Amino acid sequence: MAITEGHAGRRYPPCDPYQVSAAKITEFATALGDDNSRYRGDSPIAPPTFAAVISAPAWDQLFGDPELELSLDRVVHADQRYTFLRPLRAGDVVIATLVVDKVRIRAGSELVSATVDLTDRDTEPICTAQATFLHAREVPA
Amino acid sequence: MKATVVEGVEVGTKLPALAVRFTRERLVRYAGAATDFNPIHYSEHFARRVGLPGVIAHGMLTMGTALRVVTNWVGDPGRVTSYFVRFTRPVVVPDDEDGVEVQFSASVAAVEGSLVTVSIEAMCDGQKVLGAARAEVDLGMRVPPLDHEG
Repeated sequence: MAITEGHAGRRYPPCDPYQVSAAKITEFATALGDDNSRYRGDSPIAPPTFAAVISAPAWDQLFGDPELELSLDRVVHADQRYTFLRPLRAGDVVIATLVVDKVRIRAGSELVSATVDLTDRDTEPICTAQATFLHAREVPA
Repeated sequence: MKATVVEGVEVGTKLPALAVRFTRERLVRYAGAATDFNPIHYSEHFARRVGLPGVIAHGMLTMGTALRVVTNWVGDPGRVTSYFVRFTRPVVVPDDEDGVEVQFSASVAAVEGSLVTVSIEAMCDGQKVLGAARAEVDLGMRVPPLDHEG
């Protein structure tokens, strides 16, 4: 069966802990062409959108869920929101957990909204990443 | 009436603009840094097969780059408390040295105490590539520098 509106509320197990490293922060900032000094040195903070790196395995759980029959080839990122209680820092060990917020069925496509909560090891919240993806349904050949 | 708790920052205040070239090299670099290896961001034949006009930039690269306008202005990226964008149009990146230029601009949309909401625009080839882009920053009582190179 494919994804339905009834999949709202579906929650995936927490992802493996992700350890934020200074080297990865600097690599990510450099990829953005950003020379901000806070992203460098011994104890950098991460660029806000670094949250996407840590959220990725949680999204992989959703897109890889065989019951939903989603295909990454037919997915378009429609919108993205981040809410921060504090910046991500080198040394943080972060756990990402995804829950499906809403599924809207349209003609030929589905709009899937989900939230990834990023917490530390003590489940203290750091950041919330909410996104909507447009998934085009496969056209039978 | 405008609330202007943070001196010099009020609704309409323009932030220094930013123009950035997206090249294939930048897409490869971002793919590695972000571990986002969707082939639409490096493979022409794959991108066309899924109906795109060519290789396109990661939406998250555009989103992350757009925020530089705000963090350059604030100085401390740790002051960003929220950030939203809608991805309205793909940024097609040609396979040459010049790539494509994306222009980012921003202005203050709201001030509430020390919380400042900044509205961001991203333009490529004369068209908006982000919609409703807004970042909220907590300036504390510190006044950001009016000009920040970087």
